[in-house]
Amino acid sequence: MLSISYDSTFDGFLSVIFEIYRQHLDAGEIRPDRSTAPCNLFMQPFRVETSEESAQRLKRAIVNQASAEILDLLRVVLCSEEDGVEMKILAYLRKVFDGNDPHYAKNPTSDEMLPLYMIARAVRREEGGMLGMLRFDRTADGTYFAEIEPKYNILGMMVPHFRGRFANERWAIYDSKRGFGVYYNGQDPSQGPVEITIPDLQQVKAAAPKDDFVKLWQDYYQSIAIKERENPRLLRSCLPVRYWKHLPERQIAPSWS
Amino acid sequence: MACMDVREKLNILSAAAKYDVSCSSSGSGRQAPKGGLGSACSAGICHTWSSDGRCISLLKVLMSNACKYDCAYCINRRSNDIPRATFTPKELINLTLEFYRRNYIEGLFLSSAVVGSPDRTMEMLVQVARELRTVHKFGGYIHLKAIPGASRELLYQAGLYADRSSVNIEIPTDRALQYLAPEKNHASILAPMNFLAERKLEYHGECSRYTPKFLPAGQSTQMIVGAAGETDLQILTLSNGFYKQQQMKRVYFSGYVPLNADKRLPALTTKPPLAREHRLYQADWLMRFYKFGYDEVVDPAHPNLDLELDPKAAWALRHPEFFPIDIQTADYEMLLRVPGIGVKSAQLIASGRRFSKIRLEQLKKMGVVLKRAQYFIYHPDTPASLRRLYPEMVRPLLLPKPKSLQLDLFADQPLALPVAS
Ligand code: SF4
Repeated sequence: MLSISYDSTFDGFLSVIFEIYRQHLDAGEIRPDRSTAPCNLFMQPFRVETSEESAQRLKRAIVNQASAEILDLLRVVLCSEEDGVEMKILAYLRKVFDGNDPHYAKNPTSDEMLPLYMIARAVRREEGGMLGMLRFDRTADGTYFAEIEPKYNILGMMVPHFRGRFANERWAIYDSKRGFGVYYNGQDPSQGPVEITIPDLQQVKAAAPKDDFVKLWQDYYQSIAIKERENPRLLRSCLPVRYWKHLPERQIAPSWS
Repeated sequence: MACMDVREKLNILSAAAKYDVSCSSSGSGRQAPKGGLGSACSAGICHTWSSDGRCISLLKVLMSNACKYDCAYCINRRSNDIPRATFTPKELINLTLEFYRRNYIEGLFLSSAVVGSPDRTMEMLVQVARELRTVHKFGGYIHLKAIPGASRELLYQAGLYADRSSVNIEIPTDRALQYLAPEKNHASILAPMNFLAERKLEYHGECSRYTPKFLPAGQSTQMIVGAAGETDLQILTLSNGFYKQQQMKRVYFSGYVPLNADKRLPALTTKPPLAREHRLYQADWLMRFYKFGYDEVVDPAHPNLDLELDPKAAWALRHPEFFPIDIQTADYEMLLRVPGIGVKSAQLIASGRRFSKIRLEQLKKMGVVLKRAQYFIYHPDTPASLRRLYPEMVRPLLLPKPKSLQLDLFADQPLALPVAS
């Protein structure tokens, strides 16, 4: 049995699946490079390098045998970065490609698909929520900078939304949990946002000037609440505490605590 | 007054707007204008939740709270001795754009007390929206209140710049409204609603790529619950009419929070009827997404919603003849009516069962609440003894434990409720 490692990207993962089929590999686990779980000593390490061509061919096969929506769903599922999710996707694809049941790929409730479907739902839910919960700070040079620490790797999925909405602004979004971000220069529509890393995030944050609108926003947040209706439990279920850290409006002491 | 700063105005004019519960940014999809700022997302986006658990998606403020009217239930009424403030268009536009750039909001919800005349008030609201759209090329969401009594020309212009408009009916019966708000009656509120609904329909008829959009996200309205002794049947009948006749996108309910000592209204110590309000939203949800008729949720024999039990379970228990259903074969509409099965699970069941039998195990994985659903579904795995529904036996099993009643209130409320439209 092999412990197959890859570069953590979707194309890298598809390349793994491609090689498993091409070389009849006996996969015991598929490990993204970012994984910190201890190596399985009983499996032989095996490396698959990302090949755009193999990934393309597999994508075409998935679209043909299943659909473009399924391909998209698998991409989202991989963004969950859940342990062992690669093997779950492999199990699903094996059933799709073995062709025993021509309707298999369309069944959202099959034993292999249902868990993937539920994972994708959770990832998309966080992505949808983060589109609203992300906060930009205005930095000294007028760039709008946001730091996020989402549970899932959703930054890539969020970019088109902000690209469309703030097409003429300079902005950056940084996933400090995963240590990478994107920067968009607000001018060059032909050039999409570029990937960035920031060696010293604290320094960048400390350099940000004081912003009156943060204060105004905090005021607004306080005055819009209706005291007679305060409901901490409902608040926490709508806005989980783990997101509060990057919300200026939750940095002030709530009146009920 | 002249030197009141923006911060003070914001505090006064947002606190004055908070009893309008609508905060939806949904129903309108728009790309950012070329060279402009902002877009609208048709599902709506919540940006945060206030400490009372309501979604905040728009900068919701009044242009002014210096009202010349005297509605009994309103904090801004003329006879109240409170600080008054009025934004200049420039202040408000600047706030909107700067909040928007920081991704605090989806856009602006602008309302106002009646200052001077309805026309003058409406003109101020329209001016802000017009400048945002034309001068600043703002593509975010704009909700403008339509002021009853404003001219058709101004309402029409509001429709050109705003995504959504609303006029609040506030009090569900005309008599009570006239009693509580001497300057208002149902006819004066329905007039702008109907005008906007008709204009929107006309626009829809001549729709081409070049016709500008007219209120793409339609209209909404709000009713105060528990201020004037109305029944849930009256409330839901009225809101059903709004959905059907005025093509209303949303009807909001606002549990009355006593603000003014007024002998026409519940005493100041009255607690807002939050449980009732919550049940009304659930009923509304059933009407909009679960294909329930308003007259199924309540009827003359049961004019008020059951406060202990959600309206879907209450309906099911009143109709044991339909249950239990066989989830392999039941109509999609019946799947939707099973307590514990939501829209997404019902869709999954309906598409999955064409390929293979749905097992209880899978229902659990889909997020179906079997604790509730088990009494209403018929299934090979279900023991024979449970293949009939005995409402009197099931009801106690569905009730929340007495102690957690308050906590349970929001347990099965869909989280997206405040924005989904
Ligand atoms: S007209 Fe509006 S703002 Fe003025 S008192 Fe009546 S409800 Fe309040």
